[in-house]
Amino acid sequence: MGYQDWTNRLLDTMIASDRSAAAEIISQALASGIAPMLVISEILDPALVLLGRRWEQETLSLAQGFVAAKIAEDAMLHCIPGQTELYPNKGAVVIGNIEDDFHSLGRRAVSLFLSAAGWEVHDLGNDVPAEQFIDKALEVNASVIGASAMMQTTALNIRRLRELIDSRGLQNRLKLAVGGAVFNWRPELVAEVGGDGTARNAVGADELFMRLQSDATTGATP
Amino acid sequence: MNAYQRLMNTLMGQPVDRVPVLAVLGAYGGKLTQTDLKTLYRDPAAWVAGQQAVQEAFGFDLVMTEFNYSAIAEAFGGEVAWFSDQAPNIKRPATSSAEAALQMALPDPQQSGRLPAILESTRRLAERYKEQVPVIGVVPGPAILPALLIGMEQWMETLLFAQDSAGKLLEHTGSFFVTWANALLQAGADCLVVTEGMAAAEIAPRELFAERFLPHLATTFSQVLGPKVLHQTGGSINHILDLLPGLDGLVAVAIGSKDDLAQARALIGPGLTLIGNLDNLCFPTASPDELYAMALACLQTAAPNGHYILSNAGADISLATAPENLKALLAASNEYALTAGCSR
Repeated sequence: MGYQDWTNRLLDTMIASDRSAAAEIISQALASGIAPMLVISEILDPALVLLGRRWEQETLSLAQGFVAAKIAEDAMLHCIPGQTELYPNKGAVVIGNIEDDFHSLGRRAVSLFLSAAGWEVHDLGNDVPAEQFIDKALEVNASVIGASAMMQTTALNIRRLRELIDSRGLQNRLKLAVGGAVFNWRPELVAEVGGDGTARNAVGADELFMRLQSDATTGATP
Repeated sequence: MNAYQRLMNTLMGQPVDRVPVLAVLGAYGGKLTQTDLKTLYRDPAAWVAGQQAVQEAFGFDLVMTEFNYSAIAEAFGGEVAWFSDQAPNIKRPATSSAEAALQMALPDPQQSGRLPAILESTRRLAERYKEQVPVIGVVPGPAILPALLIGMEQWMETLLFAQDSAGKLLEHTGSFFVTWANALLQAGADCLVVTEGMAAAEIAPRELFAERFLPHLATTFSQVLGPKVLHQTGGSINHILDLLPGLDGLVAVAIGSKDDLAQARALIGPGLTLIGNLDNLCFPTASPDELYAMALACLQTAAPNGHYILSNAGADISLATAPENLKALLAASNEYALTAGCSR
């Protein structure tokens, strides 16, 4: 069986929200002699990319995404129990729901996917003031902040975070990722609140954060 | 023909003078009466004054109780976040454990949190508007109720990975759904809008809804003694529309702004009323002319078959919305009645 077949089987379990079947596929792949790192890079990662495409097409629900995040987390723990030693640490990131926003589920999914992809995630939770995002990012040496909001009214509170980053001269040092349901419905809000980028779903967070981290390193502006 | 007759005739497929127009304007009532939102949502006199102001300003075909989950979460023992420019929200649920939730007493509509105030508002709205303007009672759906008790993330976790506990929790909170819904009807609500987040395609796939939630809706709906509208709370619902006919007392479904109105009619059949489906996000940003055109497009698609009510597709419309934008809805309905006729 080739990697593509394993990937398709894993993707099917994600879409069907079948966590135990997914775990069985990962076990079978490892038992067949595929190295743990290859299970992640050649089976799990491509499945997540395909899942992300489904999400783009709006054929996946929050419930399916929630289970997929758990499956990815399970697979990572199964393949690399001592994750920090074997998997490349991509660096620290700070995420949270912006002040006045209490819709945590999407942020939690992002946290799971970022952790599974090798990021050191500092999740500040709900209702996080702009100052706290920046203080934490500087403390842990993060170069990307992820601010989440579900509604238009709370999304606009992200502007305060943008203003603080700029007024403290940190715009090249800290990049601002924004996300949440309202940004999918109104993509123009990303620029309106001063975001440096967004991903349509939790699966796409890793790619976005990689790009923004690179921009921060090179001092690029999106 | 008054608003009550217009709405009831529409639900029954009888002739109307124009298509009814609904808009979720709870917090907006506070804007019109210059009442801070914490007072508006806690004081029955303030709420009724807000609804009166909305009714006088726009003449829509309803008055309503609050379209908001936070009152129920608060009654369960959770904490509410209050804002000056938007409806309140759930800050913290009562507990984060399904097991703990099963041990907790259910709220008493006569005593818990602001539930008594909502019942009193309903009574006063009914006294003021009975058989003139429909009084709409809003009640969270039976499948989303556990999320208001333990939080959405924990409810997902329980639902997906601890099915026994999820079933018990649905049963536990289901009895409150029935009690609260019937209390609103007894207080004078003419019709209930059941805001069921789990009916949205963005939250749960069709299979999950069909297998786990639909039987629960069937059981609980049959115990609620009044007409019910199923509302998707801001998502899309066409993926399950064909499953809904036959639910006890269901008279209408509020569809999402991304749902196709013509497809919705084909899916749900001819006998149930469709409500919608103007995008909430457009209200503060579009011009009155643009909203008028959007409303007219909805009417031209859905009104010819009858059983249609023009409305926004989500929860409370933003307070930043200009009054002219709201007036465009009624103008579109009047224009449609003039140009296309409106016999159904």
